[in-house]
Amino acid sequence: MLAVKELLGSKLKFGLIALAIGLVVSLTMLMSAMSEGLVTGMTGAKRSLDADVLVFQGDTALSLERSMLTDDDLTLISSSAGVDAAYAVGHLIVTIRGPHGSFDAHVFGLADAFDQLPIVEGEHRAPAAGEAIVDFTATTEGIGVGDTLNLNPLPGELRVTAFTEGRRYIMAPALYVSLDTWRSLRAASLLKLDSAQGGETATPPDGEVADGMPPEAAPTLAGAASIMAVRLAPGVTPSDLSAALAPAFEVATPEDASLAGNGMNVMVLAVNGIQLVSLLIGAMVIGVFFYITTLHKSGQIAAVKALGASNYYVYRQLLVQISILVTLAAVIGVGLALGAGSGMPPAMAFDPDPARWAVSLLAVYATAYLGSLFSLRSILLIDPATALDRAEH
Amino acid sequence: MPLLEVTQLTKHYQGGSGRVTALEDVSFALEGGRLLGVLGPSGSGKTTLLSLIAGLLRPSSGEVRLGGSAIHLRSAREAAAFRREHVGLVFQDHHLVPYLSALENLLLVPHLSGHVRDADRRHASHLLAEFGLEHRARHTPAELSGGERQRVAIARALMNSPEIMLVDEPTSNLDTERGQQVLELLRDQVHRGAMTCVMVTHDPRMAAQADQTLQLMDGRVAAGDAGA
Ligand SMILES: Nc1ncnc2c1ncn2[C@@H]1O[C@H](COP(=O)(O)OP(=O)(O)O)[C@@H](O)[C@H]1O
Ligand SMILES: [Mg+2]
Repeated sequence: MLAVKELLGSKLKFGLIALAIGLVVSLTMLMSAMSEGLVTGMTGAKRSLDADVLVFQGDTALSLERSMLTDDDLTLISSSAGVDAAYAVGHLIVTIRGPHGSFDAHVFGLADAFDQLPIVEGEHRAPAAGEAIVDFTATTEGIGVGDTLNLNPLPGELRVTAFTEGRRYIMAPALYVSLDTWRSLRAASLLKLDSAQGGETATPPDGEVADGMPPEAAPTLAGAASIMAVRLAPGVTPSDLSAALAPAFEVATPEDASLAGNGMNVMVLAVNGIQLVSLLIGAMVIGVFFYITTLHKSGQIAAVKALGASNYYVYRQLLVQISILVTLAAVIGVGLALGAGSGMPPAMAFDPDPARWAVSLLAVYATAYLGSLFSLRSILLIDPATALDRAEH
Repeated sequence: MPLLEVTQLTKHYQGGSGRVTALEDVSFALEGGRLLGVLGPSGSGKTTLLSLIAGLLRPSSGEVRLGGSAIHLRSAREAAAFRREHVGLVFQDHHLVPYLSALENLLLVPHLSGHVRDADRRHASHLLAEFGLEHRARHTPAELSGGERQRVAIARALMNSPEIMLVDEPTSNLDTERGQQVLELLRDQVHRGAMTCVMVTHDPRMAAQADQTLQLMDGRVAAGDAGA
């Protein structure tokens, strides 16, 4: 009764504080959505590979860009003890000439398991030779289903059969092709590189020998794949396989591998740090506000205690007020965050994850209740006897 | 047996500048259904005495018995429960809850004891009407005059139908006429409701209208017909 009446009696004061907490909540929400967006944008394609573990070439620090596996490696890994199933994954950076200009993209060649890609538009089937399933963010470059992608300056072309989502790598869309298509692209790119180093400026015809390197050598140099995605047998842990394959290979879960390289760990630390600090600020705002209001009305609290109210009763009123204010702040904060998110250009990494938002909100509630302990202390210290002699001393 | 029995009551405060003796060896008895006026200059120990009877303070020595039960032996929590059920408190500074209306301030009393029943609402409306405040029921303390506030405070103290009312300087913030009205209201309640009341005042004219008086001076009983 007291809690709600007091809120209604000072709408401006409590409204302003709810707004202040709401701003902090929205900051937390934004940080959470943007860190999620950054992580998906940076590593979505790597992290979401359907596998228990990813196997990289040794000494590559779990880097997709540096790892290269030969046919022998692939055979060795798939026949290792503890490996239930495995498929090869190839990675390659390409530049695509789109309607809005050139943009980078990451080609992922999959030997299998195309059904791991959620299709948001287009055909529900594995891409055939010369076809690709493309991350939806390529639409911002003017790409549509059915378009033919020019892999400048590679001679190849890829036809877009469908769009998938959440599959970006280093902020560029991923293109999923069959492993064979990847191999020929990779070979072509190596030849191109070689010819560029040879000083040729003109684009040579497809398959032409460049500076003495025979075209048949290219596939060997290119490797059979970049990494291998492995499903472990029941009871086998990633470290079991890691121990079995070291030091020729590195083994990590997709989650761990996605945090390796490209400064990911530093980025995630920084974003989490900002989230933590904004949470602490929120807790401080709530804690200090209620501490000051409690001190401010200590005479009133003394009188209510003199009338027979228990400490528990007085504290409960405070908890009710905190719950109402934080709920109000949560609504304001989520609204502001969603508003800010919808106003962001698609290139900005904003990827609200309800589960993470729920965790952030729970953290706001938890820190608010924690902050209320300051007030509890002062409530306990208020002597009801002061209600009687207050006027004279 | 008297309703209120105070025996050799002594209270020392431990202040920064040493020990202050606020009350020393005070004894008196009060029969039920009577109004006791406690008179004395500022600092003579009147509020301390009231706080000890209410169980808001614990005596350094001596006893307070109310209806035969020992108030001085209760814990803070037990004393709070006792006040909720059996004591009506009126503060010098009315101490109404500022964001509650007059009616809600009255209903706060049953609310603190559990829940507000229809009978409580009727009781509250009845008290407000009796005190000439029915048209003020929805007003907050800030919208009431000083006299109205003090009447609401007395009505609030009557909400739990207390056995004893403890009233600290009820008229000190009022002019003579309003003070007289409040005093008559109290007297009326005591004599009609067979209630007992201890009223603290520094105004001898107010004390003179009580059934009994007790005069305090420097924490000791200076005079009075309350007897021991
Ligand atoms: N909490 C306290 N701490 C120290 N001294 C106090 C306290 N309360 C009252 N006193 C002292 O005790 C004496 C009696 O105070 P009080 O009972 O308030 O007198 P009255 O109500 O008659 O003015 C005064 O000297 C006062 O300064
Ligand atoms: Mg006093």
